[in-house]
Amino acid sequence: MKVLSVRNLTKRFGGLDAVKSVSLEVGPGETVAIIGPNGAGKTTLFQLITGAERPDGGEVYLDGERIDGLPAHVIAAKGVARTFQNGRVYGNLTVLENVLLGAHSRLQAEFGRPAGPVSGALGAIREVVTALSRPARLRRLEAELVEEAMEILSLFGDRLLPRLHQPAYSLSYANRRRTELARALALRPKILLLDEPTAGMNPTETEEMTELIRRLQARGHAILLIEHKLDLVSAVAHWVVALEAGQVLVEGTPETVWADRRLVEAYVGRTGGGAPKGGTARDGDSGAAGGRHLLRTGAGAF
Amino acid sequence: MLDQLINGLVVGNLYALTAVGITQIYGVANVINFAHGSIYMVGAFVGWMAVTWFGLPLLPTLGLVLAASALLGLLVERVAIRPYTGSGRTVLLLTTIAAGLILEQAAQLIWGPETKAFHAPIADVRFRVGGGFIGTLDLVILAVGLTTALVLWLFLKRSRLGWAVRATAQDREAALQMGVDVHQVSRISFAMAGALAGVSGLLVGLYYHSVYHTMGFSASLKGFTAALLGGLGNIPGAILGAYLLGTAESLAVAWLGSTWRDLVGIALLLGVLLFRPGGLFAATRALLPEPTVGTFIPIGRPLRIPRWALLAAAAAALVLPLVVRNGYWLQVLATAWIFGLLAISLNLITGTAGQISLGHAGFLALGAYASAILTTRLQLPFLLALVVSPLIAAAIGVVICYPALRLRGQYLAVATIGLGQGIALVALNWTSLTRGALGISNIAPPTLFGVEIASAAGFYWLTLLLLIGGVWVAERLSGSYLGRAFRAVREDEVAARAYGVGLERYKSIAFGLSAFIAAFAGVLLAHSYTYIAPDTFTHALSLQVLTMVVLGGLDSTMGAVVGALALIAIPESARFLAEYRFLVYGLLLLAMLRFRPRGLLSAAS
Amino acid sequence: MSLRRAQHARVLLAGVLTFAVVTAGCSLAPTTPSGAQGPAGAQNAAQGEVLIGVMGPLTGDNAEYGKIWRRGFDLALEEINAAGGVQGRPLNYVFEDTQSDPKQTPAVAQKFVSDPRIVAVIGDFSSPASMAASPIFQRAGLVQLGITNSHPDFTKTGDYIWSNSGSQEDDAPFLATLAVEDLGKKRLAVLHMNTDWGQTSADLFIAKAESLGAEIVLREAYLLTEKDFRPVLTKARDANPDALILISYYNDGALIAQQIDDVGLDVTVVAIGSTYSPQFIALGGEAVEGVYTATRFHPADPRPEAQEFVRKYREKYGVEPDNFAAVAYDGIKILAAVLNEVGVDRKALRDGLEKAENLQTVMYGTTAFGEDRRLRNPRYLRLVVRNGAFEIWEP
Repeated sequence: MKVLSVRNLTKRFGGLDAVKSVSLEVGPGETVAIIGPNGAGKTTLFQLITGAERPDGGEVYLDGERIDGLPAHVIAAKGVARTFQNGRVYGNLTVLENVLLGAHSRLQAEFGRPAGPVSGALGAIREVVTALSRPARLRRLEAELVEEAMEILSLFGDRLLPRLHQPAYSLSYANRRRTELARALALRPKILLLDEPTAGMNPTETEEMTELIRRLQARGHAILLIEHKLDLVSAVAHWVVALEAGQVLVEGTPETVWADRRLVEAYVGRTGGGAPKGGTARDGDSGAAGGRHLLRTGAGAF
Repeated sequence: MLDQLINGLVVGNLYALTAVGITQIYGVANVINFAHGSIYMVGAFVGWMAVTWFGLPLLPTLGLVLAASALLGLLVERVAIRPYTGSGRTVLLLTTIAAGLILEQAAQLIWGPETKAFHAPIADVRFRVGGGFIGTLDLVILAVGLTTALVLWLFLKRSRLGWAVRATAQDREAALQMGVDVHQVSRISFAMAGALAGVSGLLVGLYYHSVYHTMGFSASLKGFTAALLGGLGNIPGAILGAYLLGTAESLAVAWLGSTWRDLVGIALLLGVLLFRPGGLFAATRALLPEPTVGTFIPIGRPLRIPRWALLAAAAAALVLPLVVRNGYWLQVLATAWIFGLLAISLNLITGTAGQISLGHAGFLALGAYASAILTTRLQLPFLLALVVSPLIAAAIGVVICYPALRLRGQYLAVATIGLGQGIALVALNWTSLTRGALGISNIAPPTLFGVEIASAAGFYWLTLLLLIGGVWVAERLSGSYLGRAFRAVREDEVAARAYGVGLERYKSIAFGLSAFIAAFAGVLLAHSYTYIAPDTFTHALSLQVLTMVVLGGLDSTMGAVVGALALIAIPESARFLAEYRFLVYGLLLLAMLRFRPRGLLSAAS
Repeated sequence: MSLRRAQHARVLLAGVLTFAVVTAGCSLAPTTPSGAQGPAGAQNAAQGEVLIGVMGPLTGDNAEYGKIWRRGFDLALEEINAAGGVQGRPLNYVFEDTQSDPKQTPAVAQKFVSDPRIVAVIGDFSSPASMAASPIFQRAGLVQLGITNSHPDFTKTGDYIWSNSGSQEDDAPFLATLAVEDLGKKRLAVLHMNTDWGQTSADLFIAKAESLGAEIVLREAYLLTEKDFRPVLTKARDANPDALILISYYNDGALIAQQIDDVGLDVTVVAIGSTYSPQFIALGGEAVEGVYTATRFHPADPRPEAQEFVRKYREKYGVEPDNFAAVAYDGIKILAAVLNEVGVDRKALRDGLEKAENLQTVMYGTTAFGEDRRLRNPRYLRLVVRNGAFEIWEP
């Protein structure tokens, strides 16, 4: 059973087809990378999967259960964790608080049922009463969550642990993104959606992140990744899906995809060095040679 | 019917003047300037002075008012906006409120408190329209309104400076990079807004033949409603919105009765905010775009007050009446404790959960009326009413706030003003339940187990005990995972949603809790005043409570209590300042916000 | 962690300081009121002065009425002290600003109650503000004289709560007599302010008018802050009345008068006595020509006390007095007269008010308090606005 299964997902904004009939799958422990020029619809795809936007057509399945159309926080509670393109941490809260908030849905599930539209009122009252009375069960679970948080943070070496009680806005950009990832892990996700996890990072930081992703893979996480750094994609992805103008252009293993002419053209433009399609052009290479060249140019060509 | 439509257009005409000024400048500068109404009022007085003391004809008066109001706008920008940019929108809301307060008080001191008669130095020719008449002043106002709109529109669309203004509005940093002098743009925007406000005030003063120092508030609220109806930033929309508002109001008066006018205005305001926040003429029904990056407003880390300190403070407070026998001060402190409860409840929703509420007097009213009705009509004993009223208030609070939960920032702020006023107006109109304007009198003083709490000390202890209870509850919640969830909502709604924190759910919980705690304050109030009426719960009260919370430090429970203590006790001890009291208070607030914007009880950065 | 320690130290210090300041402040702060003083006394009341506490609006929305009150008080004080004061001692008042805000009146009430020099209290301006303080006065046994409190429940709080303000129970029915009997109007459109005063007055007016055989073709309440009366006046016009009845203050009354022509309504206007004020004419201008009203005194009133009052007021302030000034003047005079009679004592004053028989007032002539602790037997003068001034009118 696939962890995530997307079928014919479509989204229109006004007259524009941002995502058009996109399908993909992520199996258990798999890492699938989504690449494509800016404006290809990658982040929109994430928005649709996580419920931040409603699809105009198609379905999304998580572990066989249909989740499209559900509210975002419900989908999150089911085990879909995402990070954001420019990193969204809770600025005035500490690193620890940020990570603990990743596990919020577990606390709510435990102490806040029922959660329907009307019966939710009862659940809400339960939550308030629990928060005020702090029964042993709550304290136990919170202690467990803190332990888990520490364990997750230790994945990042000494980057975050020494800064446990510092407010997130005071962290460096790279540390903020790491905090975001730690928060995602605290959700105990069935699948991790990472939106350009290394955007704006220098080569060293990128290498650290790559290593981290490998470690997550070793722990069995299913990952859906948006990236521009094709080195990174080659290093970690089992499968690559290339989007262009909202549609799947080509998909396959990294090697297959790099060699595909259509991809090179999409990024680099047609032979003869004409106007680049989406992003900075490199000198008019094409074909397989161009594909390898794409790899060599590495970070952030777009 | 035709006549009522014409009436609507006539009054809409007046709203249009203020609406045009508000829509472009504030829709663009993205800050709600609460001093707008005060500049409007001062402009009117300057015009009155010109005509009545110096005998100037209309055109020079107009010019004088334009110049004076523009200068005033610049002054407000310099004193209340510029030093505070970067302190967050809540602070700006407060500095403009303080500026408005200072202007109002100053005007009263300069020109005296009476309403001044103001008769136009122009010939009044009347034209028959339908069953009634339109006069020259109506036409003059129409002309001025349209001309202003046109000039403003041309300026913004065609001139370089206008482009600079629009660019800065879209993206301040980018404009800065492009070489735009954003400070100059800010100055120009406020000067223009001030000029428009002043001219509006002058013309409306002429229209109603009177100027008085409280004329600004409702004018700006109506103007803002009209501007919202048309879509902030849409000049022709503002004019149409104004006519629509005027007409809706007139028809409401015709069909329902005069006291329904303001309710209709508020209903329209809330309706637009909820269903068409981009205005009636917007292309899409979409909600306003969310910021692309989580905005880090420096809320400040609330000082962690150790438990022993809190216990010591509570003990000291409990012991106080034994040491201080002064009935007056005990009464003052008891009032401070009641407002401490109210401030705690507002802090929960605004400081912790980040939802700006400018209508908190409404929650107070819910609690007070619930208890008053339960004890006077149903003869329930005080203790029972004390327990039941907060439950009723919480339930009602959640229901009425629910539709507003989708709103954010300044739009939520305006919606809460509407809700606060709305509750007071409902209390005024629902006479069978609340006795309307007559209010509910002869509310029994608090009785516990048969003993009447009548002495100053007794009441002090009752309020203090409830306050201590409130502090305990608030601190407990704040430190729990629920508090953490509230903060997530405050910090970044997008991220919160993506991590399982249902926004409607937790905002509702926050509002419900807030109403619950505020209701206790309401019950205490009702039983100590023994008489409540709709106008006990004014907009000014809401602003006062917000100031208490900001003063003490957002998201700090004890800060809210300290803020309440400060703002109740200081004006009392400053009584000798008499007429200057609230002027000094406004100045103090500005200074406070300048040098310690995160409030008293937050750790210095 | 020395940072934590430092923070603890700060908190402790702050706490101790606050406590010290608060207790010291409470114990040492002058409990004596220090608000605006009347003219007869220096900053801290001189030895032997008889002091009346006044609570009312000096700032805020109703500040103009507070100012007018002071004029009335000051004039009364001049006369009283020139005649030897109260039991040989000078009389003075202390005015504490409450902004007519019910949040502030209880504290001020406590202040007055705790000050032994204060023998009576006048105030507040509005009913919510006054009634929030009444329980405190009643419990402490300090007379509260409301001079502008016509709320029907005001004096019911207890036997220390008194009022010399016009009662709607008299004003409103008289107005009905004026409109229906004297002016012969049969179809009345009633516009009234949506306050406790406005509602009750309207109810009483209508009851009396109907009992005299008139028909009420329209009854509309409007908010205190209303400015635009065109819609409601259009409604009135369409109801075809032969008179428009205004239960308003002078501000809104003048506004309404100005807008009547605009909607093509052309009927007699009869307004209640609170419109009687020079401001009504100043604000209304030509629009208020021909408006009828009734008041309890007037410059042309032959009664000597009324004549005197108006003349002296005009001399001292250069403007005509209005109702608000008159009740303020009367308030102090009544208290002074009774105090002079029974002695400077809170309880004695209360009993004295009950027993007093021939109180000389401007508004009521010679009168006394009734069982409901309000003054009896008001006498009225009918007035009409002609040539920019109020003139006495006889049917």
